Amino acid sequence: MKMMNMLVGLLTATALMTGTALAAPRKIVVATDATWPPMEMVDKDKKIVGFDIDFMNEVAKAAGFSVEFKNTAWDGIFAGVESGQYDAIISSVTITEERQKKYDFSLPYIDAGQILIVPKAEKGMKLADLKGKKIGAQIGTTGAMEVKKIKGIELKTYDEVGLAFEDMAAGRIGGVVCDEPTAIIYALKKDEYRDKFKIVGKPFTKEAYGIVVKKGNKELLDLLNKGIKAVKAKKTDAAIKKQWLK
Amino acid sequence: MTSKQTPKKIVDVGDGAAIPTKSDRGLFTAWRIAFVGAIGTLAFLSWYKPDPYLNIIKFVPDGIVVTFKVTIGAILLSLVIGLVTGLGRISTNRLINGAASLYVEVIRGIPLLVQIFYIYYALGRFVKIPDLLSAIIAMAVCYGAYMGEVIRAGIQSIPKGQMEAALSLGMTRGQAMIHVILPQAFKVVLPPVGNEFIALLKDSSLVSILAVADLLRRGREFASESFTYFETYTVVALIYLVITLFFSKLIGIMEERINADN
Repeated sequence: MKMMNMLVGLLTATALMTGTALAAPRKIVVATDATWPPMEMVDKDKKIVGFDIDFMNEVAKAAGFSVEFKNTAWDGIFAGVESGQYDAIISSVTITEERQKKYDFSLPYIDAGQILIVPKAEKGMKLADLKGKKIGAQIGTTGAMEVKKIKGIELKTYDEVGLAFEDMAAGRIGGVVCDEPTAIIYALKKDEYRDKFKIVGKPFTKEAYGIVVKKGNKELLDLLNKGIKAVKAKKTDAAIKKQWLK
Repeated sequence: MTSKQTPKKIVDVGDGAAIPTKSDRGLFTAWRIAFVGAIGTLAFLSWYKPDPYLNIIKFVPDGIVVTFKVTIGAILLSLVIGLVTGLGRISTNRLINGAASLYVEVIRGIPLLVQIFYIYYALGRFVKIPDLLSAIIAMAVCYGAYMGEVIRAGIQSIPKGQMEAALSLGMTRGQAMIHVILPQAFKVVLPPVGNEFIALLKDSSLVSILAVADLLRRGREFASESFTYFETYTVVALIYLVITLFFSKLIGIMEERINADN
C-alpha cells in the first residue's frame, strides 16, 4: 500500500511538472535601441523602460508569451533579426515600403511623425528654411531620410539621437529631426536643453510604428497581431500612452 | 659556432601591413597578393553585382576624402605635439619633464575611443570648433603622446658624443639639438612614425562615432538604409585595405631611399 502511495505520488508529481512545462509561456527575444525616450530608454536602475516596452509586455500577456528585451544599437538592429539573434524588434520602427521589402511588420500600433528642433535663436520654421546648414538625425531613421530629401542641406548622422542634441548645443549643427515624442523629451523636458532649443512647426510626416519580424516568420507575426488586436480592443494602450506620452 | 654573434632584434612587430623589402623579390609576396586581391575583388564585385556593390562604391568617395583629411591633419598636429612632448621628456627642467611625462601617462592610460568621445564633447562645451577640426584635434592629442615617445627614443638613440662634440664647437644646447641631433634623429624615427601613420589611418575610423562622415560612417549610412550590411562592410574593409597597403608600400620605399643615403 505504501508502495502504491509512493507510485501515485510520483505520477502526480510528474504530471504536474509536465503540466507546468507545457503551460510555461514561450519566450520571445525582442531587440530595442533604448536611446529613444520616451519610447524606449534605460532608466536609473539600468532597466529598459518606455512606451514600447510596456506595450510589448501587454501584447505578450494578451497573446500568451513572455518577452526578453535586448538593448541593441539602432545601426544594425535589422541585421540581427535577419541573422536570428533575436525574434523581433520593437523600437519605434516606422513602417516604410523599403523596410517592408526586407522584413515583415506587425499591424501598426501607434502613429508618429518627424519634427524639427532648432536652437532658440533660429528664425527658420521648416527644413527648407535651413538651407546651407547641417542638420542632424539618427543614422538609418526616417528622420535622416527626410533630411536627405531636401537639397542644399547637409545631413549629419549620429549613432544616438542624444549625441545630435549635444552637438547642436555645441553649435556644430543647426537643427535636429526626430520623432515627435522624443523631440518633446529633449527640447522641452531636459533641463540642460530647455533654454537652448525649441520645436518648430508641426510633425511633417505621417508615420506608423510596427513590430518587425524576419521575413516569412508568419507564425510569430500572427501571434503578435493577435496580441496587438487584443490590447487595442481592451484599450490598455491608452493607459500606457497616457503614462509615457503626456 | 666559434664566435658569439651579437643578438639581433628578434621581435619586430609594426602596426602596418607587411612591407616587402628589396631582398624579397618573389612575385607572390603577401603584399602583392593582398593588394591585387583587394582591388580585384572590388572590381569583380562591382561588375558581377552592380547592385549593391557599385552603388556602395559610388556612395563612399567623399568619406574617403574625409578619412584622409582626418589622418593627415591628425598626423601633422600629432608630430608637433610629439616633438614638444619628446623634447619635454628629455628635458632636465623638472617642471617641463614632469608635465610631458604626465601627459604621456594619462593619454596612454585611456582607451582611444573614450578619449575621442571625451575631447570632442569637452571641446564642444567650451569653444565653438567645427566637427572635423574637433575630430582631428581629438586624434592628434591621443597620438601626440605615442609620437612623443617615438621622438624621445629617436633623440636618445643618437650617440652622446654628437651632443658633446657640438657643444665643444661652441654651440648652445638648443643649436646643437636643431642642427645636429634632430636631423639625425629624423632618419631614425621615420620608420616608427610611418607605422604610427598607418595605425592612425586605421584608427581614424573611430571618428565615425562622432558623426564625422568618414569612410566607415558613409558605409554605415548606406548599410542602415539599404540593409545590405554584409555587402557594405565587405567593400569598406577592402577599401581600407587598399589604402593601408598603398601607404605601407610608400613608407617602405621612403625608408629604402633613406637607408640608401647612409
